[in-house]
Amino acid sequence: MWRTLTSLRFTLLVLLTLALVAILGTLVPQGEPPAYYLERFGTTFGALLWRLGLANLYSGAWLLVPVSMLALNLLACLVKGLPQALRRAMTPLTWQAAEALPLRGRFIWPPEMKSSEVVAKVWRAELGRSQRLSLPGKEIFFCEKGRFRPLGPYLIHFGLLLVLWGALVGKLWGVEGKLVVHEGELAERFETLRPLTERVLPFQVRLERFQVNYYPQSGIPAEFRADLTFLRHGQEKKRAVCRVNEPVTFDGWTFYQSSYGAEPSGPLGFEICQGNLCHRLEAPVRHRVELPGGGAQFLIIKVEGNLQGLGPAVQMAFRDGPGHPRIFWVSLNHPQLADQPDSPFAQPAGYRFTLTSLPYRWYSVFQVKQDPGVWYVYSGFLLFLPGLFMAFFLRPQKWAVVLEKTPTGDKAGRLLGASPRAREAFEVRRERLLRRLQQGARE
Amino acid sequence: MISAIIGIVTLIYLAAAFLFLAAGLRAAPAWDRLARIFLSTGWVLHTAAFLGRWWQSSLLAAQHSPPAGFQEVLRMVILQVPLANFYESLVFFSWCLPTLPLISFRRYTTGFLGGLLSLLASLLLAYASLGVDSHIRPLMPALKSNWLLLHVLTCFVGYGAFALAFGAALLFIWQLRCPLLPAATSLPYMDRLIYQATVIGFVFLTLGIVTGAVWAEAAWGRYWSWDPKETWSLITWLIYATLLHARLVKGWQGRRIAWLAVLGFLAVLFTYLGVSFLLPGLHSYLT
Repeated sequence: MWRTLTSLRFTLLVLLTLALVAILGTLVPQGEPPAYYLERFGTTFGALLWRLGLANLYSGAWLLVPVSMLALNLLACLVKGLPQALRRAMTPLTWQAAEALPLRGRFIWPPEMKSSEVVAKVWRAELGRSQRLSLPGKEIFFCEKGRFRPLGPYLIHFGLLLVLWGALVGKLWGVEGKLVVHEGELAERFETLRPLTERVLPFQVRLERFQVNYYPQSGIPAEFRADLTFLRHGQEKKRAVCRVNEPVTFDGWTFYQSSYGAEPSGPLGFEICQGNLCHRLEAPVRHRVELPGGGAQFLIIKVEGNLQGLGPAVQMAFRDGPGHPRIFWVSLNHPQLADQPDSPFAQPAGYRFTLTSLPYRWYSVFQVKQDPGVWYVYSGFLLFLPGLFMAFFLRPQKWAVVLEKTPTGDKAGRLLGASPRAREAFEVRRERLLRRLQQGARE
Repeated sequence: MISAIIGIVTLIYLAAAFLFLAAGLRAAPAWDRLARIFLSTGWVLHTAAFLGRWWQSSLLAAQHSPPAGFQEVLRMVILQVPLANFYESLVFFSWCLPTLPLISFRRYTTGFLGGLLSLLASLLLAYASLGVDSHIRPLMPALKSNWLLLHVLTCFVGYGAFALAFGAALLFIWQLRCPLLPAATSLPYMDRLIYQATVIGFVFLTLGIVTGAVWAEAAWGRYWSWDPKETWSLITWLIYATLLHARLVKGWQGRRIAWLAVLGFLAVLFTYLGVSFLLPGLHSYLT
């Protein structure tokens, strides 16, 4: 059992399963109502998809099981390997171990060489700092680089565990919902999606003002801005501006500007001319209205508070006979737009709709959230940075030079070293080091 | 002006690709050197075009709302980094392709591998110039964040490294199949290159996903929403994680690693292009 949990085969199996589940999740549209699947995939297959939970893959067992397996695998590998890695990282290289490193080259210097100084100089230039030890009859220089590399993978894996733990904490104890506030009004109730219920905030929010600002003459929105006031027991506690990418936090709850709209606050006033014959009338939204004289009808589809920077406008559908209705926009501030043919403002031939009054107010929809798991996730992310660096960019290597006197009085040096994980770089460095040591006399 | 430079860069990369190919076929190092001069020249112009567009869009933004003080100027410049639409991302992706080989894998970027990368960069640029809207548009509110620069930068540097690993993997597989072709670089070299490029790509992809998650938390209140692009970047990450584990723990080498690198890059391409065109979501370039 333990063997299986810590085996690479299990890891690969879990990774591939997760990848397959994720692919499945992008092939089957997620989170739609059951009717959608029946219509799109047919009754049999659609019902099967729904039954198997493939429509809500990411919140069900499909994802939970492989992710739990991954967590188990990560934990098992940590328990198995971390103590050893820690031991290795905490044990500095001793001179005995340094002297036992594999031999990588020899050099001989004449007796009059100031051998220690030359070695120290070459060493400093090529390898940096070293430890030095004088023993009877010999002298040892040694150093170790990248000793903490073995900890890198464990930092990454522990970071991953923290991320998963944070996700679990968020799933169990986090709250997330949608809060709708109308301009000038207070709100404290919001809807959560899973489970679908209504919840009450421990304070109240007032939307003082909502604005959509556009880049000039482009119709491209530049800013969605909500001015908020937070109140407790009727007392003002905080004012803040919430924009997309600039959430506001109050009392542990974070508000994200997520959607908005305008809602008519009364019937809309129109002047409708057919040739020279004009009527004034009032019309409610989403109700069919017959024009005087009969034959033609219209319906107000929706109200926009600021249509592409042109100010308030309504979208309407018009029909004066059989066939499809005409859909067009009427602008409150720019009625002349109706004269532009082929624009969304072009009106049906022979008719002219002008808005005389358009009472509306903005509402804004906020994503409201409290997630105690985020900090675990972020801590995990932070661990990735040193983890990735240590695991992939540190090159553990050990070097030593042993200087001894030969019976003839010459000085014999041995270059020792090992770097099992970066052989290529090690070899390059070894050649340079040995060359400089062998040329030592001419340094 | 800038699109003209991009056009010239496209041609220079194409010329470099042919020179590299010629060098590979004749096993002639002189041609390699010439090709690298072309590639470097193109790269310098390409960098200039990138910076020029950055400058242009900063100027445009300053016209809309003139910044006051150093801090506001700095923030505006960071926000206006030309990584905000499909065209700009294509230009930057193709910039990443020769960058890594020119900086740190010079020794490997010869012959067929150099040709492959130059050709890919040239094709991406040609597609950007001919098939994609290149207008500078004002930044939409969802992209107004300092994370934009970090997130897109890390992701595309990662993609570029994976492309290098992919090129090496293709050549590796090809050379195994037809060993009679003149081999510019030996198989063990290619194998090591696949691994090293994958490591760089993996580190940057991880950073890209992390910065994306932090940004998503700040913008939407969710560090992970299973948006198709997120999901596919996770799939890509899992494939490369598999590769690295197989290599580091089990010591896999050669053909199997090469095939994993090919598979991984297909996932990269799907994450980058497929998701935008086939799966609707928050990251779609089309909306």
